[in-house]
Amino acid sequence: MNTLLAVDAEGVSKSFGHVRAVVDVSLQVAPGEVYGVLGPNGAGKTTLLRMLFGLIRPDAGTMRIFGRTWGEAGVHTLDGVAGFIESPRFYPYLTGRQNLRGLAALDGGDSVDRIEEVLDVVDMTARADRKVGGYSYGMRQRLGVAASLLRQPELLVLDEPANGLDPAGIRDMRALVRRLAGSGLTVLLSSHHMDEVEEICDNVTIMSRGNVSFHGSIADLRAMAPEPGHVLHTSADTDAVAIARQHPGVDVTPDSDGRLRVVGQERLVSAYVAAVVKAGIDLRTFAATETPLEALFFMLTDDEDAVEGPRTTREEAAVR
Amino acid sequence: MSAVTVETPPGATRSTRRPAASPSLLAALRWEVRKLGAQYRARAVLLGALLGPIPVVAVIHAQSRAPKDTLFGRYATTNGFSLALLILGFACQWILPLLTAVVAGDIFASEDQHGTWKTVLTRSASRAKLFWAKSIAAAGFAVLMVVILAGSTVAASVLIGGHQPLVGVSGQLIGAHEALRLVLASWATTLAPTLGFTCLAILLSIATRNPAAGIATPVVLGMVMQLVGALGGIEAVRPLLLTTPYESWHGLLASPRFTGPLVQGLVVSGVWSLVALIAGFVMLRRRDITGG
Repeated sequence: MNTLLAVDAEGVSKSFGHVRAVVDVSLQVAPGEVYGVLGPNGAGKTTLLRMLFGLIRPDAGTMRIFGRTWGEAGVHTLDGVAGFIESPRFYPYLTGRQNLRGLAALDGGDSVDRIEEVLDVVDMTARADRKVGGYSYGMRQRLGVAASLLRQPELLVLDEPANGLDPAGIRDMRALVRRLAGSGLTVLLSSHHMDEVEEICDNVTIMSRGNVSFHGSIADLRAMAPEPGHVLHTSADTDAVAIARQHPGVDVTPDSDGRLRVVGQERLVSAYVAAVVKAGIDLRTFAATETPLEALFFMLTDDEDAVEGPRTTREEAAVR
Repeated sequence: MSAVTVETPPGATRSTRRPAASPSLLAALRWEVRKLGAQYRARAVLLGALLGPIPVVAVIHAQSRAPKDTLFGRYATTNGFSLALLILGFACQWILPLLTAVVAGDIFASEDQHGTWKTVLTRSASRAKLFWAKSIAAAGFAVLMVVILAGSTVAASVLIGGHQPLVGVSGQLIGAHEALRLVLASWATTLAPTLGFTCLAILLSIATRNPAAGIATPVVLGMVMQLVGALGGIEAVRPLLLTTPYESWHGLLASPRFTGPLVQGLVVSGVWSLVALIAGFVMLRRRDITGG
């Protein structure tokens, strides 16, 4: 088995003036892996991917792609690599097909014959002769995927591919990424949606303010996730809080909206809610807040000063 | 969406894949030319260069009083060659810098405007290749524009104003055949400074990342240079200005003929072009593409 990593970033840093966009980030993506880079806006995900594509130069550290670096291989560093950064952009005064033809020419011209095939993959054949200036956001995203597939990549890098899409567009895009990943491609996906990464990726790096907050598998992440949270509103919240004292393992606290936040294992929370109802208290609202992984994501990426409880979790989750 | 047919074996790495082909400079150039051809602005400039001189020539020729205070203005209403040279003098003031800047000042900055740097720079073409392809396309456009403008102006002038012998700047009479040759040569001398302005616009297009600034700034700089050139007491500086070579054709129509300013103009235009291109190249190579 070949041991060359698809991506091997080591101690990569980048600052813009006084802003430290990426700080000493290391990550490894193995061939065939579907890897997620997760973080809120401004976490440094896009800067990291721009460095991978050679669009910006790191101040420190090395970035190897299939063993190649920009310093040694120049533009050949991107052999076998394709993708897009943020929303894919094209020449608005050209049609989708003309754009792809031009990009194929910039790839050496060999891929011109595959234009129809990749248009078909992203379901854009019927719209390929319309000028890109008239495309919707979702159509541009799909054309971006088509432009990437033209290169027959081994590593596909997608920066928030579902960003800005409507629910149907998000569903289609995720299905497409899943199919691409299933075909054996190495996929490096950045997102600020935990569910997207959880659904598609094997391993994940969570970034916050340019730093790595977590690095590991989705399974590791799930194991670290806190208990699920619920919001509860009753006809007698004070009594409901009192009942919680008789239910160890269930934490009930009033939140800033005047409702109760209930945290605990599903089994214990169910028993607690049953007790509340049994006590003759009417339930007005009982709903899940965020999923456990979402809660963990917020803990890992929230402002450090603003988070008191999860600090230990954050420390445990530090770069491995 | 149909089934994906990505030919990518799991675990495929560098050793199992032949290196991707890089585009030739010609392929990158062809792509730039195709993009230019699809742009309304570039087509409008060429169409303007072709058709614009015709009404201008017709209007000047129809004037009852010739613009005598202008070089070659005295016979502009009665002589086609004088008319073509009068328009040449006018074109050198700001029209040629403007027309070339419409494309050269936009060709790099439009990638910023459309956010397409990240699209083209994530393919197999290097920044150097894209730089030269764009620069050659802009220079080619400038040459084509000058040729069309000169051809249209001279043809319209001769057809409307006639092809009588031309009175040169020293008062000598120049036969029609020789006059046509000299008028065409005079127009040809504008190629060097126009290419200089093209390179200046390329530099500004890269530096400002703004098409409007890339187009307008070379024209403004040209006007400032003309103003500086008109000031007294700066004789040492005047030959170094990029606008001075636009006057070098005067010597071709003098008796005896002198070509010193022509050679000097070629050198000055060459230096301006080289410096602007090198600065633009270095700027583009070092730039972080953060936008788009």
